[in-house]
Parts: sequence; structure tokens; C-alpha cells
Amino acid sequence: MQLLILLDSRPIDWFYGMTTRGAGTVRGMDRIECQWCKAQNDAGDKSCGTCGAPLDARNLVSDSGWREAPRLKDMTEFRFSSSTCQVEGELVPVAEVNLGSGDSVFFEHHVLLWKDESTPLSALSMGGGMKRMLGGMPMVISVAHGPGRVAFSRDASGEVVVLPLHPTMEMDVREHAFLVASHSISYSFERIKGMTNVLHGEGMYLDRFVTSGEQGILLLHGYGNVFERNLAAGEKILVEPGGFLYKDSSVQMNTVQQNVKTGLMRHGMYLAEMTGPGRVGIQSMYVHHHSG
Amino acid sequence: MTVTESSTYTCRFCRLQCDAGRASCSHCGAPVDVRAAVSDSGWQEQPAIKDMARIQFGQSSCQIEGTCVPSADFNLGGEESVYFSHHSVLWCEPSVQMSPMPMKGGWNRVRAGLPLVMLQAHGPGHLALSEDAPGEVVAIPLQHQQAVWVREHRFLAATGNVAYDWQQPGVWFTTGGGNEQESHFPLGMFVDVFHAEGGPGLLLLHSPGNSFVRDLGPGETICIQPTSLLYKDPSVGMQLHLEYPNQGGVMWNYNRGYSYRQVWLRMWGPGRVAVQSVFEREESSEMITNHSPATLMRW
Repeated sequence: MQLLILLDSRPIDWFYGMTTRGAGTVRGMDRIECQWCKAQNDAGDKSCGTCGAPLDARNLVSDSGWREAPRLKDMTEFRFSSSTCQVEGELVPVAEVNLGSGDSVFFEHHVLLWKDESTPLSALSMGGGMKRMLGGMPMVISVAHGPGRVAFSRDASGEVVVLPLHPTMEMDVREHAFLVASHSISYSFERIKGMTNVLHGEGMYLDRFVTSGEQGILLLHGYGNVFERNLAAGEKILVEPGGFLYKDSSVQMNTVQQNVKTGLMRHGMYLAEMTGPGRVGIQSMYVHHHSG
Repeated sequence: MTVTESSTYTCRFCRLQCDAGRASCSHCGAPVDVRAAVSDSGWQEQPAIKDMARIQFGQSSCQIEGTCVPSADFNLGGEESVYFSHHSVLWCEPSVQMSPMPMKGGWNRVRAGLPLVMLQAHGPGHLALSEDAPGEVVAIPLQHQQAVWVREHRFLAATGNVAYDWQQPGVWFTTGGGNEQESHFPLGMFVDVFHAEGGPGLLLLHSPGNSFVRDLGPGETICIQPTSLLYKDPSVGMQLHLEYPNQGGVMWNYNRGYSYRQVWLRMWGPGRVAVQSVFEREESSEMITNHSPATLMRW
């Protein structure tokens, strides 16, 4: 299947008995499989109904194996549960959610851009409030309930990454990258010690999202461009902690000190060693806290 | 694009011979199939390197990935190496060896806000670098013995055969007096100088916003915002240009410490000058009490 996403790949109808159309794979006569989330779509669709990825644009994969997250077209709409989400704008995209009755989404309160007056809000009960506060994380996670509209955005140019989570999936996301998640996803957090490049040596927090019985949807804001790589079992890659965006929980993340001292205070240089199997997502724009 | 043979052309941006069968120039990544975008005033827009375009150097290559904040993904092979500031590392393969590059004048670099440590990476393996602002990666292939001056903090990476030095640009002014005297460096305290010593090399810059290039003829002058300078040929001269617009008799400089003036960087040819469209505005408007050699205009 890797052949499908190479830039210079030629048609391989003969190989799998299917044809490729941009980021989607046509199976039979009337279905297209989204190459980002693997959902099935009607042959006439321009974008995936589950994640919004354009089906008529070519996948972009670097020689080193990083795949660019699909750049969602302005006003792309996709569905989850009985709700819809429309992504508006391209420089600093806005995710506008039209919540159906009985649906809800949760989010950090400072990403709220606007809402219908009638859309109810509540707070998600969270443990570890003091730890969160000390870690610079918001103490309160807010919840918006349907029916009603509510919109979210972050504060810098980048892209919205849509990750549909299938049942029993677990995803770890760097702090302050989470934009909004649907109600069927449970949320917790954990601290990773020793990432000295982040939060001035105090470690970093990972948001953990787990789906139980029902599929959910998770939206992240990646600063700059977002790339994803699927690591094989035991395969390793070193990532600057500031550039790390998300990973499957099956990917092990350890701090590795490089044989380099940086800055006036001779700080050690640390990178995050990611070991497969699973997906790793990175963002190309981040703030490096300890530049010498 | 100027086609010289059926199979080669001269890239209008790096001015080197390239294979016409490729989608982008193998030396600088500039797309082949774009028309020159030249403003009426003579600035040529540097086209953004297309997503996933490859630049070849020696046995190694660099692939530019992304369009908003592009990353430069090096595939280092053989004996080749690249050097860079450690804060621009995005990811690397475990096989890549990184080591500190000896630097002189560490204290002065710290004072100037420049990275104290540069890292050198040897292959084999992949290494990716990116900066922390939206913009473009600008690739400058350097021919043997060719040099280029780059404004500080614009440098992304250079190949190991490109020598690196840094100099005082000699562009400064002071405001206030006595204990309150303040020194200003519109270009920064230092400029980076890159010189291809061991054969042709490659220099990558990160330009916030869009970038534009202009060839100045001998004696031709242009005034630019000092912080918009991206790079220039060493043959291009530069100095301060202080301009005091006509206030129409209105003395709005109500306090003697302030003045209505514009600080420019005056540049003259021959040679190339490149500017970026995002720049830092000067915050100070205090009266200038002393300055480096400058031309003066009172309207």
C-alpha cells in the first residue's frame, strides 16, 4: 500500500485491482477510501465525510517517509455522531461545530471563538487541578452541549488536524495542541519528565484521549505544517520535543540526551526518542525554550 | 527561464545551468514552470520552493516539505555534512551524528542574541530543520569562492564546505545622552558571512513572509527598512540614511528628546539585494545623538 502514497507513483490498478484518485482509493465502482482516516466515501465526494481530507488532492510523502497532513479546504464539512464540523479559513483555521441534540464537545476554554447564545456550556470534572495549574495547563475543561453552534481556533498560523478515533484507540497529544474532542472520547493527562526543551526543564504534559464503545473525533491545531509518520515495530526516530504533536499510545516516548551542550549555561540537548509501532505526528513551527 | 540547449536551462534565480526535465531547479529548488513575477520597480519575487521539491548537493539532497512553515529534510550521504543552529532541529534519524562546531567570540555572540553553539551533522541519515515563523525557505547555491552576507537569525543551514564568519555591519546610532545613552543596531550587532571555500556549497535561509530579489547596477541605490534585509552580495555597499520629512511648520516634537525621522539602510550596487516582507518596526523615535557614517535628507 505504500506505493499508493509515493509522489511519483504510477497507477497500480493491476496491483490491487483498484484505482487511485488523489488521496482516496476507489474500491469497485462507487466507493472511495480516504487515505488519511480509511473511511469509505461515495465516489462523487470531493472530501472525506469523516475527516474532511480532500479526496481529489495528491498525497504528499517525503523521501524520508513523512506524510503531510491533508490541508483541509476552506469550508470543508464533515460529520460525527449527529453533528457536523466545518473548517473555515486557511491561515489560522476555525473549526465550527454544529452540535446535534444529545451531542457535546469538550475543549480548553481559551480556544472558544464564538457560540450561539443558546448553546449551553458546562465544566468537565478534572482531577489534579494543582498539578495542571503548575504545569501551565488550563484547570478547567469546558463542555458545549447541543443543539447549537460553537466555534474554536488557536492563536497562530497552522492547520487543523482531524483524527477520527475508532473504538479502543488511544492517542497522546502534546500540551496546548488539543482544539476540541467529541463526547464519546475520554480525557486524561500525564506528565513526561525530563523534556528539558519544554517548559524550561520541568517536563511536559501529554493529553491522553481514549475512545470506549463509540467512534469519536479529535481535532488538533498544529503550528506551521503537520507531518505524520507510521513507525514499524522497533523503528526509532528522534524528534525535538517542541516539534512533537501527537502519537498513538503504542509508540514509546523516551528522553535521550545528545552529546552536545548548548547555551551559556551549557544545557544538555535532549530529543524525544519515539519507538514504534504506531503513528507519530510533528509540527514544523514551535518555540524552542533553551536556545543558547 | 532561458533555455540554452534542449536539455538544460539557466535558472533565473540561482543563475546556474539546470536540467530542463525536472519540475524544479536542482540547485535552488525554484520551480521551472513559473513566469517571472517582477514588479514595475524591478523587484523580482523569489518563488516559494514547491512542496516536496528536492535540491541536490554532492551525494546528498534536501527536500523542502510544507508551505506554511517549510522544513528542510536533508538526506546526508557519503562524507557530506551540514551545520545549523541547534534550536532549528525538528527531527533526525538515530544514525545521524551531531557534534558541536567550534565558534569564536562566544561572549559577543551571547550579547548579540546569536546562538552560542552551532551543530554539525554527519550522515548517513535524515535530518530535518525548521524555523518558528511562517515564511519561505530560500536556497542559495554558492559557487567556489562566492560569498554572501546574511542578516542575523535568517540562517537555517549550510553545507560543510561553506565557511562561516560573522562581522559587525558598521550600522548603528545612539539616542539620549549621559547615563541614558542607548545604542541601536538597526541590522543587529552582527551579520553572518558565508563563503564557499571547498568547492560549490549550499546555503539555506528562512525568510519570514515573502522574499524579493533585485540586481543593483553599479552606483544604483535603494533605501530599505534595515530589518527587511535578507541577504546581499558582498559587493553591495550599505550605510545609514537618515530622513527627516517636512513637518509643514508643525512642531509636533513637543518634547526635545523626540524627533520625526525615518532610519533607512541605503544600499548601492553592483550586486544582488534580497528583502523579506516581514520585518520589525523601529520602536524608538528619540532624537539621534550620534551615528555611523550616514547620508542625511531633510525635506
